[in-house]
Amino acid sequence: MQVGYLETPSLWIIGALIAYAVAYYFYARWVDEHIWEVSESRTTPAHMYLDGVEYFPVSRYVLYGFQFKSIAALGPILGPFIAVAYGWVPALIWIIIGNFFIGWVQDYSTIMLTVRNEGRSMGPLVYNAIGERGRKILLGYLLFYLLIISAVFIYLVSLFWNVFPGSFIATIGIIITGLITGELLYKYKANIFGVTAFAIILTLLSVGVGTVVAWPPKNVFGPWSLQVWSIILAIILFVGAIVPLPKFITPMNFVAVFPAIGGVILIILGALFSPLGGIKVLQPGFKGWYVQGVGPLFPILFVSIACGAISGWHSLVSTSTTGKQLDVETDARPVGAGAMLTEGLLATSALAAYMVVSPDLIAKGKIAAFVNGATLLSAFYLGGKASMAYLSTFFAIFLVIYAITVQALVTRYWRVFSAELFRGTWSWLGNKYIATFIGLLLPILFALTGSWINLWIYFGGSNQLLAGMALTLVAFYVAKMRKPSWYSAWPAAFMTIVTLAALLWETYSFGLSTFGLAPVKAKPPLTQYPAAAWALNALFFIIGIVLFVLGLYMSYALWSAYMKARRGEVEAKEVST
Amino acid sequence: MVIIPLFGKKKERGREEGAKDKEKVSEAIKGVLYGFAVHGAATAALKTRMHMEHLFMLMTLGDMLGFPIIPPYYSLKILPYVVPNIKSWKQRLFRERDFTDMLSG
Repeated sequence: MQVGYLETPSLWIIGALIAYAVAYYFYARWVDEHIWEVSESRTTPAHMYLDGVEYFPVSRYVLYGFQFKSIAALGPILGPFIAVAYGWVPALIWIIIGNFFIGWVQDYSTIMLTVRNEGRSMGPLVYNAIGERGRKILLGYLLFYLLIISAVFIYLVSLFWNVFPGSFIATIGIIITGLITGELLYKYKANIFGVTAFAIILTLLSVGVGTVVAWPPKNVFGPWSLQVWSIILAIILFVGAIVPLPKFITPMNFVAVFPAIGGVILIILGALFSPLGGIKVLQPGFKGWYVQGVGPLFPILFVSIACGAISGWHSLVSTSTTGKQLDVETDARPVGAGAMLTEGLLATSALAAYMVVSPDLIAKGKIAAFVNGATLLSAFYLGGKASMAYLSTFFAIFLVIYAITVQALVTRYWRVFSAELFRGTWSWLGNKYIATFIGLLLPILFALTGSWINLWIYFGGSNQLLAGMALTLVAFYVAKMRKPSWYSAWPAAFMTIVTLAALLWETYSFGLSTFGLAPVKAKPPLTQYPAAAWALNALFFIIGIVLFVLGLYMSYALWSAYMKARRGEVEAKEVST
Repeated sequence: MVIIPLFGKKKERGREEGAKDKEKVSEAIKGVLYGFAVHGAATAALKTRMHMEHLFMLMTLGDMLGFPIIPPYYSLKILPYVVPNIKSWKQRLFRERDFTDMLSG
């Protein structure tokens, strides 16, 4: 059955595609040529400090793939789920405008910042702008940020395993495939193409086995199912964080790449060709300015769709690795802007998956909405109803993979950060086993409330605020170069205000539950233990205050530095040639 | 008579360009896939090797730096193999590193 283009998500995806093309070919090119004045002949840190380890020139294609893989996680896929509660039109507008004016600006400019500052990463760049205290506060902020990411991702993976029968078996199948692949590649030096084909077949088989067995059923461990799944996940993550990377995380991520790419392509194709499958938009365009349990459209919408529009995580990736390996300055646009706009396309397609499901699913906050929508979008060209069960398991695994691969790295970063942070009498907290244990225990405790939407808003708020800081930092350095800084300063101001407002709102709403002015935010089985539920709400209230204060200090310090640079009170930056 | 060879040359040139374009596309696809699947792991492996090499250099040159770890006899035997790496070792060891640098592996 064919339906008109206007009734399907297709036209909106094409519209977004055109907007991203304009952003890339016109706006990004203008910034590239007139503000940064990139030149192929200017030596990049990859050549200047070539050591074959951290600094070495890498082809733009390789860096594009690396950048996209590093920035794409659950943000662009699950973020629209919360945003669509206000209707799909505000979500679509934010994704397009966010990508056009803010998202690529941050990713591209932070790469250039590293390139023009001798390959420095975020910490030293902040140190140069606002000093040692700023660098330390950034470290503290990042630790809280990692905790919140962990809490959200651990909760979500447990939820996926609980809700989608067979997804756990398929995940274990993929992990085992990863371990076998690692042994074949590193120990037996087997042919890479043969091993890759073998890994893809085993991965597809794992999904098939999960679909056929469809076990364990929902709530297999009774009311504490989610908590038991969290502990099982924590055991897997613990092993991943303490064994060498090539033994576990590297091969697992290698195997996970294929369903991850496959899923993205399937959704984008499905959304583009939805008129051929007769897939109609079922969600209302606009539902209201306030959604019970989520909050007001301003500022929550702008933090719910995190990585799909703009994300602070990207600035960390751009400055810690990509900027150090850029071959020539002219590669910054395809790598930074290109990868971000591709992620914008992924977010738009994920939004399409929510647009085509029943409004009830969104209203009831059913996490299955994405899987149902993605299955609907791809089943019509992949075998119809016969393939739906397989595709459902595949998309459930797709979600698990995006969360688990990032979470495995985040747990590891927590361990490494702890080793760096805790010295002297506190050095025992940096011990690899203790640090990993704490890095998993705290998020599991946080996830106990079951209020993943509130946690997500904290995650989105802290993540977007990091983006605001990165954009202010860019404006500071651009002003030092005596170039027009508005293209970064305006988005920075917007992101800072919006995210501080979102953090304040969420802190306020936890404050209300802490002081008994609103019901405590908790879901069963925690509701049976009111004291514990209250304690967790109070803890979130404190975390909210800490994140807000740290974020406010950093934003103020960076803005002051920027204003000084604008007034010419900071020494002009010599551009290395 | 004149047109045919010109046309042939043009066609040949077109074929050559087509082959070059194909090569470029294939290189781009391979590169993107490599970046997506392996580059992060390769960078992390290189960093692990770097840390191992730091330890190796400290063990072999330890006594010259005031930390006698292995007997000087062995240090001297290994010295010729170590000397070519001293410059890059110093460069890596003394580079300013921050916690945000650790994100790359």
